[in-house]
Amino acid sequence: MDRPVAPAAGPGAGNDCRPWRRRGMGRALPGALFAALCLASLMVGAGRMELAQLTTFSGEAWLTLTASRLPRLAAVVLTGAGLAVCGAVLQQILRNRFVEPATTGGLEAAKLGILVALTLLPGAGQGVRMALAMAFCLAASLIFAVITARLRATVLVPVAGLMYGSVLGALAEFYAYSRNFLQGMQGWMLGDFSKVVQGSYEVVWLVLPVVAATYVFARRFTLIGMGAEVAASLGLGYRAMVVLGLVLVSATVAATVITVGAIPFVGLVVPNLVSLWRGDDLTRTLPMIAAGGAMLLLICDLLGRLIIWPYEVPVGLTGGGVGGLMFLFLILWGRR
Amino acid sequence: MTGRATFALTAFGLALLALAFVLQGAAADPVWLIPRRLMKLAAMIVGGCAVALSSISFQTVAGNRILTPAVMGYEAVYLLLQSVLVVTLGASGLTLWGGSGGFLLSILFMLGYSLTLDRWLFRDGRADLWMLMLVGLVLTMVIGTVTQFLQLRISPGEFAIFQSAAQISFERVEPWRLLVSTILFCVICLAGWRGLPALDVLALGRDQAMSLGIDHRRAVRRLLMLIAVLVAVSTSLIGPTAFMGIFVANLAYALAPGAGHRLTLPMGCAIAVGMFLLAQLMVERLFDYRTTVGILVNLACGVWFLALMLRQRSMI
Amino acid sequence: MILLTDIGKSHGTRAVLSGITARFPRQSLTSIIGPNGAGKSTLLMLIARLAEPGSGRITLGGADIARISRAEYARRVATLRQFPAIELRLTVEELVAFGRFPHNRGRPTAEDRRATDEAIAFLSLDTIRKARLDELSGGQRQMAFLAMTIAQQTHCLLLDEPLNNLDMRHALRIMQALRSLCDDLGRTVVAVIHDINFAANHSDQIIALKDGRLHSSGTVDQVVTEAGLRDLYGLDFHILPRPHGRLCDYFTPKGEAG
Repeated sequence: MDRPVAPAAGPGAGNDCRPWRRRGMGRALPGALFAALCLASLMVGAGRMELAQLTTFSGEAWLTLTASRLPRLAAVVLTGAGLAVCGAVLQQILRNRFVEPATTGGLEAAKLGILVALTLLPGAGQGVRMALAMAFCLAASLIFAVITARLRATVLVPVAGLMYGSVLGALAEFYAYSRNFLQGMQGWMLGDFSKVVQGSYEVVWLVLPVVAATYVFARRFTLIGMGAEVAASLGLGYRAMVVLGLVLVSATVAATVITVGAIPFVGLVVPNLVSLWRGDDLTRTLPMIAAGGAMLLLICDLLGRLIIWPYEVPVGLTGGGVGGLMFLFLILWGRR
Repeated sequence: MTGRATFALTAFGLALLALAFVLQGAAADPVWLIPRRLMKLAAMIVGGCAVALSSISFQTVAGNRILTPAVMGYEAVYLLLQSVLVVTLGASGLTLWGGSGGFLLSILFMLGYSLTLDRWLFRDGRADLWMLMLVGLVLTMVIGTVTQFLQLRISPGEFAIFQSAAQISFERVEPWRLLVSTILFCVICLAGWRGLPALDVLALGRDQAMSLGIDHRRAVRRLLMLIAVLVAVSTSLIGPTAFMGIFVANLAYALAPGAGHRLTLPMGCAIAVGMFLLAQLMVERLFDYRTTVGILVNLACGVWFLALMLRQRSMI
Repeated sequence: MILLTDIGKSHGTRAVLSGITARFPRQSLTSIIGPNGAGKSTLLMLIARLAEPGSGRITLGGADIARISRAEYARRVATLRQFPAIELRLTVEELVAFGRFPHNRGRPTAEDRRATDEAIAFLSLDTIRKARLDELSGGQRQMAFLAMTIAQQTHCLLLDEPLNNLDMRHALRIMQALRSLCDDLGRTVVAVIHDINFAANHSDQIIALKDGRLHSSGTVDQVVTEAGLRDLYGLDFHILPRPHGRLCDYFTPKGEAG
């Protein structure tokens, strides 16, 4: 975001002086919060869980826990962390604060990929769908990166991305309608954790190695954010890193869309908030981004399950709604 | 070719197209087919002209060539209203009440939204356009999620009713709705006709307009009101049009370069109607109903718009 | 030393550079001067390997730069273009530490920390080392970026208009720092400079370009002459010797309106 450069008021003005940080709550609070959210996620649900039964490692409660609640918790945490990290990487690659899979056409491309897989190769398994989703997402993101390399205005990039996503969505609609697929598409493309069940969700664990790889390359991704010339001066292979970053992003997007569906805005809000708080050095902030994403999604998921209990609001809606509102807030606050 | 000549040519081509649309294959059952087609044509004309007029004048007010009411969230508000109505009134209530009542309510909501935009975003007279657009797009998505949430609470039957309102279609035109829309449209046109020269001056920008004696604030507010009604007319008559307004407006500027609104507005109308005719013909003849007008229009306009945005470095 | 042999570059049909043969001696500060559109930045970009020459050869210490690996080149040549438009929220310290990347490939060691500290101290940035880039003034930010290139500890530094948009104090500080880099640390510095006075008073060698061709090259005394500058810029010059250098006073030739 464009901010007028403040006259040098003095050394490090406004950097380390946040009072609540001084109170030393830095490490303890987020950890405790995270644990509490996880626990809450395990406890909430449509079915009742007898706590007593848990201790015997048998019975219905245990089954609920292992077959539904724990996988769901894993999916929520991994998806949240993965999407947030994706957003951070995309923001460095495209050098823009407002990008994430939903505003670069990546989500829509992945959906299109899955659609194509379902219609052209109906008998194929999840692996094929995953591969196609990833391929479509990668191609769309590469095209978008090339196209927007020439755009200067900061806000223009996410606008272009949303348009691009709409066009891809229209393409998907066209394709789906012509094969009478449209009816079902809207439903199962929306992010929904209630479909997560042991035995069908495991592909989302792919997010873990991806996030780890991102952390290994964190310094390089921060360098990418400084532009091609600075990266070249420091001897970094700019194009190779961009492609690598987009591959990692596409893998995460494909894995999460296949398992859970599309969840917009999470990958955008979390890196921005962390950046406001702790700066842009990914080597330091990436763990926070991952944790923040997981927590945001845990909250959205809990919200979705509690609002109209015992029914559920899909997380694609809560995430989109909450995330969208936070995004709007960030935009308008940045305007000030 | 001068702008006027282009317009004459376009209008002529349009007339031919319209004739083709109404008469094609009508020999089979003219008594039944032709009146229906005429009604569809009327809906295309009124709806298309409403889209064109509202988009072009909104772009003049906003001072740039990208923003249109659809993109700024007007249509999302309309859809939200529809879902709220469906949720609160249910399917039966909607068919009873949703007719004229829903129409009036839509107009009221649009007016309210216009006022909000006017006060909130055009406040200092200058609008940070890309920021506005981003806000509009995100707002559309957020409202979309709320709308989808509401849809969770309704039955499939009610959902079908809602769904049909959420897509462009000339099928659901009832005579009375067409009549009301046409009357409203004519009223707006008359109201706006006298302000046409002022519109040209507004296109010069806020400062220039004020130095030439135009009360900018009042003119903008008045225009936004008219635009709101136009959008209500077009969305309730034919459905949400998304990117079409941008396409129509920019093509009108391209075909009538340098001309005032006296030429661009009619040109825009012609383009919009032509586009609808073409899309409908393609759906019927080429795609054999395997797609819809909305999908075709959105696809074409979306792609065109992306190309436009990325080709030009400086947009305004 | 950097040697350019018959360098040419075109953009489409327009020749941006043609037939440039020049030497950039070791351990000295060479300025590239010339009017707008002369091709100065393009030339620097060719040496920095940010673009490829259409014709000709560039050698660094005798070796053709096109054959040196990217990582190795980053350890020998550091480039700073004008005002990198970076909106990242980094502290000065974090930014300068990135300059060590060619050496540690992302795994910082004690040596890297020492180099970072030295670079920050060299430019006297200790007071703002924890400040964030977007909180600094333009001059301070440029100093921070210069510190990053210094921390890269390359033998050669290439700078594209490092003094643009800087107030006089920071511009002077940067020129003095560059001077010190050559004299005290024995580095080679090549800088594209707009202001003839800064170029004339702080450089050892000057290379002047005009319309994509080499206009003149050599020591400051050889190039900065009234006749030479008049031919280069199309303005009248009076060169006034001063205790600490010279003052180039320029104005439009008589008979021309403004």
